[in-house]
Amino acid sequence: MPNSPELWVINLNRMFEIKFAGYGGQGLIRSGVIVGKAASIYDNKFSTMNQSFGPEARGGACSSQLLVSETKVLYPYVTKLDILVAMSREAYEKFEPELKDTGMLIYDSDLVKLKKMRPKIKLYPIPATRFAEELGNRIIANVVMLGFFTAITKVVSKQAMEKAIPDSVPERFKDLNLKAFNKGFQHEKQIPKIPKFQNS
Amino acid sequence: MSIITTCLTNAVKKSRIKKVCLVSDFLYQREIVDSLEFDTFHVTRGRPIAFGTGLKLANPELKVIALIGDLITLGGNHFMHAGRRNMDIVVICVNNFIYPKIAGNTTPTTKVPFSQYAPFERPINVPHMAKSSGAVYVARWTTLHNSELTESITQALQKSGFSVIEVMAPGGSYFAGIPSLKNESELLKFYYENSVIKNGEDTRNVEIIPDNKIIVGKFFEQERPTFLDSYNAQLSRVMGDKFKPYV
Amino acid sequence: MRANPKDVFTGAYYIDGDVSSAYGAAAAGCKFIGGYPITPSTEAFEAFVRRAHQVGAISIQMEDELGSIASVIGASWAGKKAMTITSGPGFSLMMENIGLGAMLETPFVVLNIQRGGPSTGLPTLTGQADMMQSRWGSHGDYEIITIAPDSPQEMFDYTVKAFNLSEKYRCPVMIMSDECVGHMTEKVVIPSADKIEVEPRRFYKGDKDKYIPFPVDNLVPPMVKAGDGYKLHLTGLAHDEKGYPLLTQNSKVKTQNANTRRLVDKIRLNVDKIIELKEDGIDDAEIIVVSYGITSRVAIRGIEMARAKGIKVGSLRLVTVWPFPEKKITELANKVKAFVVPEINYGQIVFEVERCAYGKANIVLVPHGGGSVHNPDDIFHAIEYAAKERKNVDGIIEQKTNLYSLIFEKEYKLHG
Repeated sequence: MPNSPELWVINLNRMFEIKFAGYGGQGLIRSGVIVGKAASIYDNKFSTMNQSFGPEARGGACSSQLLVSETKVLYPYVTKLDILVAMSREAYEKFEPELKDTGMLIYDSDLVKLKKMRPKIKLYPIPATRFAEELGNRIIANVVMLGFFTAITKVVSKQAMEKAIPDSVPERFKDLNLKAFNKGFQHEKQIPKIPKFQNS
Repeated sequence: MSIITTCLTNAVKKSRIKKVCLVSDFLYQREIVDSLEFDTFHVTRGRPIAFGTGLKLANPELKVIALIGDLITLGGNHFMHAGRRNMDIVVICVNNFIYPKIAGNTTPTTKVPFSQYAPFERPINVPHMAKSSGAVYVARWTTLHNSELTESITQALQKSGFSVIEVMAPGGSYFAGIPSLKNESELLKFYYENSVIKNGEDTRNVEIIPDNKIIVGKFFEQERPTFLDSYNAQLSRVMGDKFKPYV
Repeated sequence: MRANPKDVFTGAYYIDGDVSSAYGAAAAGCKFIGGYPITPSTEAFEAFVRRAHQVGAISIQMEDELGSIASVIGASWAGKKAMTITSGPGFSLMMENIGLGAMLETPFVVLNIQRGGPSTGLPTLTGQADMMQSRWGSHGDYEIITIAPDSPQEMFDYTVKAFNLSEKYRCPVMIMSDECVGHMTEKVVIPSADKIEVEPRRFYKGDKDKYIPFPVDNLVPPMVKAGDGYKLHLTGLAHDEKGYPLLTQNSKVKTQNANTRRLVDKIRLNVDKIIELKEDGIDDAEIIVVSYGITSRVAIRGIEMARAKGIKVGSLRLVTVWPFPEKKITELANKVKAFVVPEINYGQIVFEVERCAYGKANIVLVPHGGGSVHNPDDIFHAIEYAAKERKNVDGIIEQKTNLYSLIFEKEYKLHG
């Protein structure tokens, strides 16, 4: 269990409260489904995913919220975020206040311009959309992000994600998606020295 | 009413169709029900076509007859959409201009000069509406056109698709609007005598206009795939051999 | 009887409550869905439509909800298990024919993914305000069964159960879920067909001439299929045992009594078999939180907070909301100080709890207008508030406040 304030693992039954946010069409709900599926079906954990849905979700800020836990998820909503994955500036600005003081922000460094942040929030930038474009299709930016997310947070295992992604995409895009996932996953090694946190 | 039932029974016998269900939204006398050789349903007003859709789809072997009173108010939408999908139902629309069971209130098919306190709204031309909804068989008769009516119902039963037959039937309390008439049977005769058979007439011209003759006849017939045909065709096209047609 | 393996999509899925419910319907042997899309229930309809051909079922998008439900009753009488899927506004339109379904003693299932109301209300945010409508929505006397699942897994399990109950008691069964559960994605495990119990349609097998649709001595008689030559006559009018309406004044009164009594008795005499409750820590509880649907999951957080403070709180979750567990509530009312009833409406089931408590326990409503779930703090505060109340000497609490003033006290004082 965490003994240092640097460790961000949460007490409440070791539950992770995660939000994927961006604008509509970036595949954020799909991201939530993939991580949730990897955790609950291939990692045998428990997870609950809720999506923001409705007219306001179209085109504007869109998000999916995910709980991943070792035990059954009872209360099904996020209260304070452990991890915020921001794929647009608007989403970042909207949901940043929900982040815990010791939370973690993963963001698309090309799309999000950071404001002054609370000191203990850990920042992990990745130019996911640019990487996706390099791979040939910007629509897979979310998968690049998921690779990075998996490498950093370890909420789900890489193996589980590699099983969950092909389930959720059309047959002909499987390879591309796995490539994108690995691209993001590898990027973890390239990020500059930041405090190393572990998932106990 | 009993005349229509007789025609119906004869038509069902003539068409040799076994599994017939009659769905209506008005009350049957017990005697009438007893005289019928098939299943009868009296459902909520305006919904016989929708109810029949369920019967037909759940068991495509059934032949559903929906007997509806002055329609197009309650359930007009079901009429249009069953026509659009070409649901395999025979609709017999009994048009007596009023709701006889509830003291002769006016309906959307009520005609101006036939009513004491004349409604000023324009009535609906049922055959034309049926045709434009996509019906495959459209006819209109009065109750005294016995043999024609029976023949029409038989033809409709043998056809697969949405068939509409409008029957001009007298409403018991209605002849009051026409001073020369003394009773119901005179009204029957009044309709009969004031009608003219024009088979194949364009349905646009068959509106019931006061002082004009009521145009009756078999107006229209066409072939169209029914809902289930289209459903099976569509899914077979999309899924190929994996799809087993629903019958 | 076990489910047909062809109908069961065995496996572990990560799907939302809507889809889960559609798979549950398929597993239960549902062969007909007549529906009209309305968020937040559309996903369930879509999921069934996509899978319909695999299980030999058919689905149709009707022109409106009035037509959907009428077609469902028709399909049920044609011998197929049938269901319709809707949300608040559509549910209101269906009321007329739900009455017909009850009158004709037709088994079918209505899945209502509730959203906020009244009227068009809140597309597509949550609500639990259709609970009374599910019971009393159609005019006239009838009994109904209502189930409120709280997770996607339960959406599967209880959709199967809903079909079983409707076949068993020949009455409409409502699954009153809500947007939160409908759009919540969780792991759903669909077991193999031999682990799913399914109540088959019971068909009359005797002599064709001797068939009586509504015999006096049998409250849930077997059915026949339309078109099989039984000369079936069914009417939405008050009818006698043969299904015929009666037209004279005297016979009308007599039949009406017998007729409605059937509809009511078949449920009331079997309440113990139908009612399903989930209890947690109610043996030594002083306060009991009565909840259903998504609210029961939210309440857990509030209960945990209260327990951490040393308050003895138990939880009673109504899985079947109707018929209402009167006996259980009365029994508990004698033991506990208060019931706390959180629900996403301004008081529906709380009045039932109040009725069955006979003034022996205090009742605290935790209302919510809809759109989101309760803040668990609210439930916690209500529990705290309820814990302060004392029973007086006679064992009957003094009626300090009526329900509504409690609402406002909660909102304006408890937070302060």
